[in-house]
Amino acid sequence: MNCEVCQLKELEVEHFEIREVLRCILHTIVFHRALGLVRPKDVDLELFEITYVQCGDVELEKKIDEKIDHFISWVEKHPNKKSQICLSFYEVKSKQPSWFTNKTERLYWEQWYINLNVTQHPKHHSSKSHHTKLVVDPGESATEERSSRRAMVEASLREVLFQIIKFVNEKKDHVPPISEGVIYFPYEITIPSSSDSAFGMDMIKRMLHSGHPTMLS
Amino acid sequence: MEMDRESGKLEQIVSQFRSKILHVILDSRVPSLHHHHHQQQQESLSHSRVRKTDKWFNLVLGDRPPALENLNFSLRNLFDPMVIDIILVHRGSCSSSVDNLYSPSAPAAGPADETVIERWVVQYDCPRFIATPSGADACVSYKKIYKKSIILLRSLYTQMRLLPAYRIFKQLSSLSQTYNFDLVYKVSSFSHPFSREEESGMKEYIFAPVEALSGCLSVSVTYRATLSDFNLEPLVSLPPKIITDYVGSPTTDPMRSFPSSDKGAHATSFPLRGARPPSSSPFQRPHSWSSGFHRGFPSTKTQSLAGSPPVYRISPKPYDIASPPTDLYGNRIQNQRVSTLQQVTAYDEYKSSPPFSPSASPSTPSYLSGTNPLRTRHCSETAPVTIPLPLTGRSTRYLSPNSSDPSRHSLPPLSPRSSKHDASSQESPSGIRSYRKIEALRAGESPSGLSNNYSAQKVVRDSKDDSGRFSALLSSSGSPRIGFSRSSSRLSFQDDMDDCEFSCPFDVDDVDVSDSSSQNTEGKKASEFTAQSNLVGKKSHDAAVGILVHMLRTAPPLRQDSSCYSTHSLRTEYEGGVSIASGFFMPRKTADALEELNSYREMKDLLLSKSGTRVVRKEEIK
Repeated sequence: MNCEVCQLKELEVEHFEIREVLRCILHTIVFHRALGLVRPKDVDLELFEITYVQCGDVELEKKIDEKIDHFISWVEKHPNKKSQICLSFYEVKSKQPSWFTNKTERLYWEQWYINLNVTQHPKHHSSKSHHTKLVVDPGESATEERSSRRAMVEASLREVLFQIIKFVNEKKDHVPPISEGVIYFPYEITIPSSSDSAFGMDMIKRMLHSGHPTMLS
Repeated sequence: MEMDRESGKLEQIVSQFRSKILHVILDSRVPSLHHHHHQQQQESLSHSRVRKTDKWFNLVLGDRPPALENLNFSLRNLFDPMVIDIILVHRGSCSSSVDNLYSPSAPAAGPADETVIERWVVQYDCPRFIATPSGADACVSYKKIYKKSIILLRSLYTQMRLLPAYRIFKQLSSLSQTYNFDLVYKVSSFSHPFSREEESGMKEYIFAPVEALSGCLSVSVTYRATLSDFNLEPLVSLPPKIITDYVGSPTTDPMRSFPSSDKGAHATSFPLRGARPPSSSPFQRPHSWSSGFHRGFPSTKTQSLAGSPPVYRISPKPYDIASPPTDLYGNRIQNQRVSTLQQVTAYDEYKSSPPFSPSASPSTPSYLSGTNPLRTRHCSETAPVTIPLPLTGRSTRYLSPNSSDPSRHSLPPLSPRSSKHDASSQESPSGIRSYRKIEALRAGESPSGLSNNYSAQKVVRDSKDDSGRFSALLSSSGSPRIGFSRSSSRLSFQDDMDDCEFSCPFDVDDVDVSDSSSQNTEGKKASEFTAQSNLVGKKSHDAAVGILVHMLRTAPPLRQDSSCYSTHSLRTEYEGGVSIASGFFMPRKTADALEELNSYREMKDLLLSKSGTRVVRKEEIK
């Protein structure tokens, strides 16, 4: 089975926008991959006029929030850097136990790369700060610039969501069959670790486990 | 046979898919259906119940709207496309929202612009006549089709929230405002092509089809890219008007004479009256009632609040009659409070029922206007006291809610006056008669001379706990009623009425001073009298007037039992220096009179000068 990869359009966000943007994107993707019985839950973003859909699973929400917290911590340590979050869906396959491998292996069948470019210094804002706390220049031009920037981010985010919908619609054959009682496919969220090399090591580890080359488009 | 079974399964998937898509679209575009669904979803969430229809495509949406079932029936030919138009109906701005309520179809409503802002087309292409796989292959095939349908539905669900029309839907779904536009839907098996102009502003998105061996299920949407051309603004005239300038309003001058009141005497007249002997007070008592103690009912305030639901209920009626049975338009109900546009869906003999059925509508106007005669009636009578609310508020609400009546605990704090008198009501047969009457009222009795007022109160009391019957109760009876709002303010108002009905609103705060009053009944009266007079200095001008009025009312005859007044009882902690009879022992009757006269004099002085002369007076006496 091929592993379908989707590289989402890069988003230029400020520190305080990370949480909302990531929640929106991650939940949207998972909602399309939560093919079990779900009770959809509409969530309105606070910073943007966008409504996204969650699959309503509390555990999932918690895990995603945890990962976002880790990511934000990483961003604070590595400011003004482009970063990538990888959301992978896999199947668990039992394998013949051997010396070097585990009994089970993960077969990744889909990977989503969320590309973020965090532009502002994180010390100015807390992770949950509201946009009103962004005070750079009280002048009118700064306000206008801020609002136009906000509109751009909103438009970009909308584009990313449309991109997800398009991808989800066009590629359906690789999706595994739905298991009874399972709400969403097993997934994994990979955030950059403390160093870039470690991040690369994670990718290599994943390749070894899956046994398939990761296709990066 | 196996082919039939397989095609039957596929048909079932396609049929359910169409129903589900329709449900998703209507739920995300038609506010009235969304409200209905949301309510049900709240209930279903509490019961954790998953319906059979929810299990299809693993998407729990709640109960399907009744309209959907009929629409499905009408479009049961799976090979006909299902075209769902979402139409923005824009009312002309010249229309008055009030006009719309009573005659929504009147010309004054203005022309309605209807624009298709979204068109969803669900199509199941003609099956190709090829051999369908049998056995396990067929099963796998249908599972795949089903899985892909699930994914398609998910993406459609997400897409619906990203399209421009969703914002309008959210605006209309908000119950806090009403708008001059509406979202309606139309479902048919054919679609009128767009004009070139319409097409120019529209975009199309085609979802990837779900290909089955015997057909192809496809969904597409054509939508207006921008809706900024429409004047989508909320109506301003519709929100309930809060009238703050009503009789009894805390912000209103209590001494202000209202048009319906013919007894708006000023409180300053009281010192003159206070100097008169109490024996003549029975003839003066009507004047004492008229000195601004008339209490206006906050009917105008509640009028708008209580009026809006019945007014709203009128509106569905014309539309119910006017909508033709063959109308393909499905319409929404604007707002749960006021409806500027209510049209009932009628599609192939089906009508969706509006969520609110009209009730007691013809009597609504009479109700709205009925409060005025009510007020007039109250003002013209002398026995039922209409006491201005602010006085009541100042004098009663903010004092210790020392109530002996457990039923009062749920109500705003009572007047300590009334509470105090409640405690003493058993002891004092006279003077506190008014408070006793209040108690009788609470017990459901209707003392003579107060029947009108009390009966009205009782009506309100009976209906106050049941807001659902409230308007019906008010509107069904022809007699004027006190205007009460459904909110808790009505209860507080009623409570105030109970408090102040037969008591002066000014004779408050006697709870602060009267602790040392004598135990016997007459002494009690005297203590009230002096306690009230004590407090005149402390309280405002108005409070002092109230105290005096109460004194006049409750003052016993001079030549009664001489044990009424004792110098001891008058020797209170009155800071104003009314130490009238300290060491001044005279025969009872004369002493009584002298004391009374002095107290009246003191009262007068205090009223005339607010604070400064108190000490002076004391010195003079000494």
